[in-house]
Amino acid sequence: MSGLRLEGLVAGRRGFRLPPLDLTVAPGEVLALIGPNGAGKTTLLKTLAGLLPPMAGTVVHAGAPAWLPPPGAVSAGFSTLHLTALGRAPLRRWSPGLTAEDIGTARAALARLDVDDLADRPFNRLSSGQQQLVLIARLFVQDAPVCLLDEPLALLDPAHARAVETAIRALAAEGRIVVASTHHLPFAARCDRVLAISPDGMEVEPPVRALTPDRVRALFGVEVTGCPCCGQALG
Amino acid sequence: MDPLSRLRATLLPTGLVLLALAGALAVLATGPLAATPDALLAAMIGRGAPEAELALALRGPRLLAALTCGAALAGAGAGFQILFRNPLASPDLLGVSSGAGLGAAVALLLGAGAALVQGAAFVGGLAAGALALACAALTRSGDDRLALILCGIVAGALASAGLGLVVVVAEPYSQLPSITYWLLGSFTRATLTEAVGALVPVGLGAGVLIWLGFRLDILSLGDEQARSLGLPARPMRLLALAAAALMTSSAVAVAGVVGWIGLLGPHAARLIVGEQAGRLIPAAMSIGAIFALVIDRLATAFGPSEIPVGLLSAAIGAPAFLMLFVATSRRS
Repeated sequence: MSGLRLEGLVAGRRGFRLPPLDLTVAPGEVLALIGPNGAGKTTLLKTLAGLLPPMAGTVVHAGAPAWLPPPGAVSAGFSTLHLTALGRAPLRRWSPGLTAEDIGTARAALARLDVDDLADRPFNRLSSGQQQLVLIARLFVQDAPVCLLDEPLALLDPAHARAVETAIRALAAEGRIVVASTHHLPFAARCDRVLAISPDGMEVEPPVRALTPDRVRALFGVEVTGCPCCGQALG
Repeated sequence: MDPLSRLRATLLPTGLVLLALAGALAVLATGPLAATPDALLAAMIGRGAPEAELALALRGPRLLAALTCGAALAGAGAGFQILFRNPLASPDLLGVSSGAGLGAAVALLLGAGAALVQGAAFVGGLAAGALALACAALTRSGDDRLALILCGIVAGALASAGLGLVVVVAEPYSQLPSITYWLLGSFTRATLTEAVGALVPVGLGAGVLIWLGFRLDILSLGDEQARSLGLPARPMRLLALAAAALMTSSAVAVAGVVGWIGLLGPHAARLIVGEQAGRLIPAAMSIGAIFALVIDRLATAFGPSEIPVGLLSAAIGAPAFLMLFVATSRRS
């Protein structure tokens, strides 16, 4: 895997443009995307995912990326196991159906994140935290080299947030690139690099420099000692 | 999947298909020209007694038409419900039924024969569906589903207006009764050619929907999820819509406008086999076929004059749907 390379990428949609971005992300790296609401985090993620066309520049990646909307955005009445197995769809685009091997892979991925007891329950009946763990299990099944996560920790209680963060680390540990937007700055502080998006521009830096009190104040316009979303200490 | 639920997953849809076929035999074995099941089976392979062959020749086409149309409407209804993630989506979501009604009414107005009326209804239904799809493609709406539903309403409304015009100008004593009767729905007019003529496109559409299987499940998650799972979302959605519209059109062309099967079939099937498209569609088709069989049997059960199946399906289907809805909502 040769990583993710952005060359003069301008993400945007009608009436909204982000400044051009040049960036290389190495395999195994977790990049946090922070910034106020409406700054363009989701637009940038969708452009990286190929769901929105770039307004200029190019995105180069090793293979088709996987993309996840925020927790609670995916709704499905069928079983959790089937939803997880759908991660194999890129391999089965034109085949008659999913195979027993696909189901086995899905079951193993659920077991790995310790949610295999939910396998036969309808996905809609799970809590947001359980749903998010199942969707991350599907990322292991899909095995895309680049995983783009839109606010993976939103709506989650601290225990589920910790489990999801551990799972995100495990995704990266196997050589995948993870780009995750977040408002939970302690998570951003534990990522490898932070991309801060504000109306004034974009900057990529290590967490220690990106998350100083001055920078956080400038980015969000609030005076805080810890995380602006929960007050937790940074780092 | 544990062995028990795997068994359930394959046995239940298969069982429903067998039940539909057994129901067809049971219908032939009762009522006018009744023949025993073994005599009927012998007649099917050309070795039956003359009475059994007569029963098969006279009642077979109608039975085949009922099975085909019931399966087609319920299968298309299930397809639309999955694609639109809306349990109220019905087979005429794209205006197909109204378009088919207009086609048939115009053909009847011009004095066409039965085969031509069927052809006109088929073309009218597909034209309305194509109009809805084309209009939806013109919009740059962020939500494809909303655009399709609105364009379906527009296509259906246009066809209904045309149908109203035909009804007004039709000759009230000769043409109007046949148009009204057609619109109320019946399997009576089906000949073997017409029944087989419907079976082929219905089989094609059903084949496409069943092949789509897990891909329909992915499409139900929305286009963005589908694309990030590597599916060409728009062409696949279009293929599924076209398959469902083809099934509806062929059914309406043979039977006229028969409501409720397309709503009732998928809901009943969902209670039995769950939401997964690969199981839901065959199960819904079987239940739709059984339901059509029952209402067609009832249509002739009360005296010499037939009750239109469109009326019966609403009279039985609407309360049955309510019961299903109550059962489902109490269970969850």
